[in-house]
Amino acid sequence: MSRIGVFVCHCGSNIAKTVRVDDVAEFARDLPDVVMAESYKFMCSTPGQELIQEKIKECNLDRVIVAACSPLMHEKTFRKVLENAGLNQYLLTIVNIREQCSWVIEDMDKATAKAKALVNGAVHRARLLDSLASRFVDVNSEVMIVGGGIAGIQAALELASTGKKVYLVERSPTIGGHMAQFDKTFPTLDCSACILTPKMDAVLQNPNIELMTSCEVTEVKGFVGNFDVTVKQKARYVDHDKCNGCLTCVEKCPAGKGLSEFDEGLGSRKAIYIPFPQSVPQKPVIDRETCIYFKKGKCRLCEKVCEQDAIDFEQEDTYHDVKVGAIIVATGYSLMDTKPLVQYGYGKYPGVYHSLEVERLFNSTGPTEGKVVMRNGEEPGSIAILHCIGSRDINYHEYCSRVCCMYALKFAHLFKEKTSADVYQLYIDMRCFGKGYEEFYNRVLAENVKFVRGKAARVTDVTGSPEEEGKLIVEVEDTLSSQFMRLPVDMVVLAPAMEPRADAVDVARIFNIGVDKDRFFREKHPKLDPLSTTTDGVFLAGTCQGPKDIPDTVAQAIGAAAEALTIVGKKQLELEAATVYVDPYVCCGCQNCVRVCTYSAPSFDIEKKVSVINEVLCKGCGLCAASCPTGAIIARHFTNDQFIGEMEGLMEF
Amino acid sequence: MASPVAPYLEISQAIEEAGGEALRKCYQCGTCTGTCPWSSITEFNIRKLIRQGQFGFDGIEEFMWYCSTCNFCVSRCPRGVEIIDVVRAVRRVYSEGGLLPESLRVFVGSLSSRGNPWSGDPDKRNEWYNGEYPHFSEDTEYLYFTCCTVCYDPRNVRVARATAEILDRAGISWGLLGTDVNCCGESAGKVGDTALFERLKNNNEEIFKSNKVKKIIVNSPHCYYTFKKEYSGKYEVIHITELLADLIRDGKIVPKKDLSETKITYHDPCYLGRHSGIYDAPRDILRSIPGVELVEMEKSREQSMCCGGGGGGLWTERSKGERLSDLRMEEALGTGATVLATACPYCISMLEDSVKTMNADEKIKVKDITELILDSLE
Amino acid sequence: MEFEPKILGIACNWCTYTGADLAGTTRIQYPHNVRVARVMCSSRINPAFIFRAFQLGADGVLVGGCEPGDCHYSTGNYYARRRLAITRKILEFAGLEPERFRVEWISASDGIKFAEVVKEFTEEIRALGPQTKFKVKKDIET
Repeated sequence: MSRIGVFVCHCGSNIAKTVRVDDVAEFARDLPDVVMAESYKFMCSTPGQELIQEKIKECNLDRVIVAACSPLMHEKTFRKVLENAGLNQYLLTIVNIREQCSWVIEDMDKATAKAKALVNGAVHRARLLDSLASRFVDVNSEVMIVGGGIAGIQAALELASTGKKVYLVERSPTIGGHMAQFDKTFPTLDCSACILTPKMDAVLQNPNIELMTSCEVTEVKGFVGNFDVTVKQKARYVDHDKCNGCLTCVEKCPAGKGLSEFDEGLGSRKAIYIPFPQSVPQKPVIDRETCIYFKKGKCRLCEKVCEQDAIDFEQEDTYHDVKVGAIIVATGYSLMDTKPLVQYGYGKYPGVYHSLEVERLFNSTGPTEGKVVMRNGEEPGSIAILHCIGSRDINYHEYCSRVCCMYALKFAHLFKEKTSADVYQLYIDMRCFGKGYEEFYNRVLAENVKFVRGKAARVTDVTGSPEEEGKLIVEVEDTLSSQFMRLPVDMVVLAPAMEPRADAVDVARIFNIGVDKDRFFREKHPKLDPLSTTTDGVFLAGTCQGPKDIPDTVAQAIGAAAEALTIVGKKQLELEAATVYVDPYVCCGCQNCVRVCTYSAPSFDIEKKVSVINEVLCKGCGLCAASCPTGAIIARHFTNDQFIGEMEGLMEF
Repeated sequence: MASPVAPYLEISQAIEEAGGEALRKCYQCGTCTGTCPWSSITEFNIRKLIRQGQFGFDGIEEFMWYCSTCNFCVSRCPRGVEIIDVVRAVRRVYSEGGLLPESLRVFVGSLSSRGNPWSGDPDKRNEWYNGEYPHFSEDTEYLYFTCCTVCYDPRNVRVARATAEILDRAGISWGLLGTDVNCCGESAGKVGDTALFERLKNNNEEIFKSNKVKKIIVNSPHCYYTFKKEYSGKYEVIHITELLADLIRDGKIVPKKDLSETKITYHDPCYLGRHSGIYDAPRDILRSIPGVELVEMEKSREQSMCCGGGGGGLWTERSKGERLSDLRMEEALGTGATVLATACPYCISMLEDSVKTMNADEKIKVKDITELILDSLE
Repeated sequence: MEFEPKILGIACNWCTYTGADLAGTTRIQYPHNVRVARVMCSSRINPAFIFRAFQLGADGVLVGGCEPGDCHYSTGNYYARRRLAITRKILEFAGLEPERFRVEWISASDGIKFAEVVKEFTEEIRALGPQTKFKVKKDIET
């Protein structure tokens, strides 16, 4: 015989507006084994929690039901309430009468009827619940950060400063990410390299950070506190332990026609190279695709000039096992390819550029040494900057990419500073939301940049009059004056949408995290938990979670470091107790469970001829329980009886 | 002297109820006006029209008849606003209020009383064919549905004759219906006369049903779109170029006559290209003719420039300098082509007009794909 | 009085249940007839649950799991798919309209799909009418 207490939450008017909460409480009171039922305005608030604790003691409750918001929201909160009142936390059942009831049904009668049915289901289930023992597991105190851009770098520095060991894994030969490609950052116009490279250097010098460049994560096994990560070290063909970074090989390499990825294809690099002068580490790698030795079997000049004997053409990819307690994913973004938008002529007209290409033009270490010179060798006399190319567009990406309005203003300012060109901004809205952003907009207006309010419709080189000869024509309507315009310009700059990396979905699978509808990694809750994922111990930071600027990225990185510390800062972690176990008297030794489990939790005891579950590995999914032909496997907290009991309750009324 | 106005929301509501709810989604970015081919030669401003519709401002009636429903704006709109539906809804509100412009009253009246927009005698609908062609019956596979324009317009009659000849020689099972069918009704719907469209549609559907029609071949992309998307969808609709491309590929039709290095450029009709996604079949056909050098205009395929004939434009007189077909003709001449090929009777009418008014008869000929194929079979 | 179907919903915690919550936070309205029981993974579902649900008088049963490739436990939903496909065949063999049992793969970001499926399924069951084939009149002893 149980003593069940039912607590029905109003949630202000969120639930009470469509569910008659007092009726539900009254209904519950009449159910067998329910000794008390009450409603309260905000169950999760301090007085609400205290109410539950009081009643547990007063009425000697041994089962608690809270009918409120989704268990995904507050199950943990209320479990603590039970613990504090001396009751086992697994004797709690949450009934979702908000997200799946009051918020989706308008009719009060129907919503209340559903709420009652759900509560009845919970009562039937509650009677059959058992106390479960909490499980504790030792925690590995090291952290892996995947992605060496500003987010990864900042998070690494934060964690390292608390004394934790950090593995910073970066896929390309250097850390720095996209921020290293920028010239100046808005709105302060700080030189990007000047604020980034000290951090990059700090990473290199920090004894707690193990830098793993040209590395990729290929597999993640284990669970929070105890991840087992396989990292592939791609062959660099240069032994970084021997290399002293003199870069003589780069100087002498005769294969100079490779397209520099760092310069967005505008400049060239050698086959043996470092991506940019301030690369960290300052040790080169060889690109097989452009290396004369790999393609034709000749040359090997770098090997001849290297005094450290560091060149190793026989190098192969190697795999390393790294054990960590928490993981931060900070893999960054890609800029959308604008070639498919044929109306803007990117890739067709040499005078059309995208934003990262323009950053490289401005930058003094770029292909034009910081001079604004186009592909045809000339300085532009007129420039049009086109906003929202692929963003806010149902045909490509519905979202706003957040940073383009600001960097477009930055470009306008830099164009005015470095050239005497006419500059036009073609925008739909100006989004200047951050500190100093609106003021920066004012400043750029004062610099005589012309703002056309309208989204550019077309870029063409088909001219219609002598004044247009030799120019690119941008067709756009200025909606403020209802004037259709043909803007003759020398250079067109596109602001493409910020996209997730091309392999985001594959990477998500490796870390067992989700992606949202736009393929950015999915956070647990966009407002209250923006850095956690559905996999405990794996956190997010930066643009891989969604478009954002540098201040927000850095803030998230610091936040993710704090999140990681909530795991690795402890010696032990409490794990979910709802695992499975085998009743050896019922087990027939078929080993079905051993065959189906992804985590290898069941194993066969050859002597006793029955299966045994390793509870540390078990995740509690219940697959083996449903696969067991004799019903020998009991899934704690989700037993057959408990589930069928719940169904009885759900279908009773 | 300007004075402040209050929004007249009854008009927006009327437009929404007439089928223009998409009005709400527009955030006035101006991509539509920037894209619209009329923007560079007239005062027509589609974005402004939608704005006027959103608030019920004055002035909406001034330019709403310009739109030729070419779908370019719709294909580029970042909010997915069904702009053509809004234009139709606005036109419906005004035409039901008796405000259809003079120039359009004739063809609408003709549709209403004679079932075709050319004031042609309905009994003489099938007079175009001077050969013995099969009549459609239950066991016939394909119905060849002749657009009113190929039945009654002297220039376009040649298209019907060419098509029928080719179908005959292809050895497929096809036939024609009697004179009780009427116009597909597309133009009536596009100028806002929804009731007339429904009447024309119902008559046709009755006849198709009682004759157990399963597959329909059409010349006109307007008929194609209307049968496919606005009729009940119970039949398979095939554009003549789709069929011809298949027949040529399967060797049932073999273009023989060598046109010895003739430069041909192809104009994508809006209702075949942008509205229906058929870009390759006509080009495959042209490439199969020996001696043809296919050159593309810059505004081709999805970016094709409208000839101005849709949405009632075929019956509207526009002054020189305001004609899209003139611009298109200029572009075609600019490629050096001596033949401008297309696959739509409306486009043919508009472009032939431009050839004449621009005195370009010696430089370029306008041909339908069917005419070119028939020529090459001799 | 219009017939109001009683439908049992079984949703996996990581995808469908989360997706259903998303439908709630975006306030998408859908019929009240589906009562959801949560499991950690769709692979937990024993076919006996489905049979018992119909015995208890469910007019329809709707199961929701993660989309192929996205199972939180990596392969659970593949087992669920096969197991539930066989379950459906058995139900059909036993004389129940197979349309009364439906399995959908709904991701955590697809609140819209969840609501659409519930709407559609509810109307289908309404049209089929009350389920009488398996419904047992007396109490079941577990």
